[in-house]
Amino acid sequence: MAAPLLTIELDPGPFQPLGALEGWQSLVCSRLGGLPAAESSFVGRVRPHTSAGQPLAALELEHYPGMTETQLQRLAAAAASPPEVAAVLVRHRIGRVLPGDPIVLVAVAADRRGPAQRCCQELLEALKHEAPFWKREWLADGSGHWLGGNTPL
Amino acid sequence: MGHTPELRVLLFAALRERAGWRERQLAATRGATPTTVWGQLGLEPADPAATIRVAINQRFARWDSPLAGGDELAFLPPISGG
Repeated sequence: MAAPLLTIELDPGPFQPLGALEGWQSLVCSRLGGLPAAESSFVGRVRPHTSAGQPLAALELEHYPGMTETQLQRLAAAAASPPEVAAVLVRHRIGRVLPGDPIVLVAVAADRRGPAQRCCQELLEALKHEAPFWKREWLADGSGHWLGGNTPL
Repeated sequence: MGHTPELRVLLFAALRERAGWRERQLAATRGATPTTVWGQLGLEPADPAATIRVAINQRFARWDSPLAGGDELAFLPPISGG
């Protein structure tokens, strides 16, 4: 069984999830000679409010250059260990992200829907807790606040 | 140069801003661990293990992991990805 195709990208600027998915599908199709039967994807966007309920001006994403990329590779490889999983895509924003903008895209292609959906969910949860990213909420008055964790599942 | 290579210490996000620095070079003393370096640098809180994680050479590690000259040690405040 060939190792799954892992595609990991950090995006310093906005990305379009549907365009990103199309590009990834083309890559998977050319590398694997066709698209697997099942595909699951998740798009996360920035909420318009802070965790305290105030209007959000922007979200800042800090990362650990080098470790973040390596850790995403490790997490993707671990989540893609079931043999049915053929390909994984992770796109994650860094820098300043505006409300409503995509912040994360995870997609999984597999032979069956179960492994596709499970891998997608597992990888999303893993990267929220095990990949070095830090969020700071910026308000319209120019003040910023670092978040101490994630929203509940 | 014949010197023991130094430790490179990195701080991120809220931790970096609270301490007022991003990166320091430190002599690698015998028996050094993330716990001893944290104390040596006077970082807060005094008991960080509950909230702060450490990475050595860009891999998560334990607070009592041994450190060697040339290592990159990072202190990581609570992660919030995705």
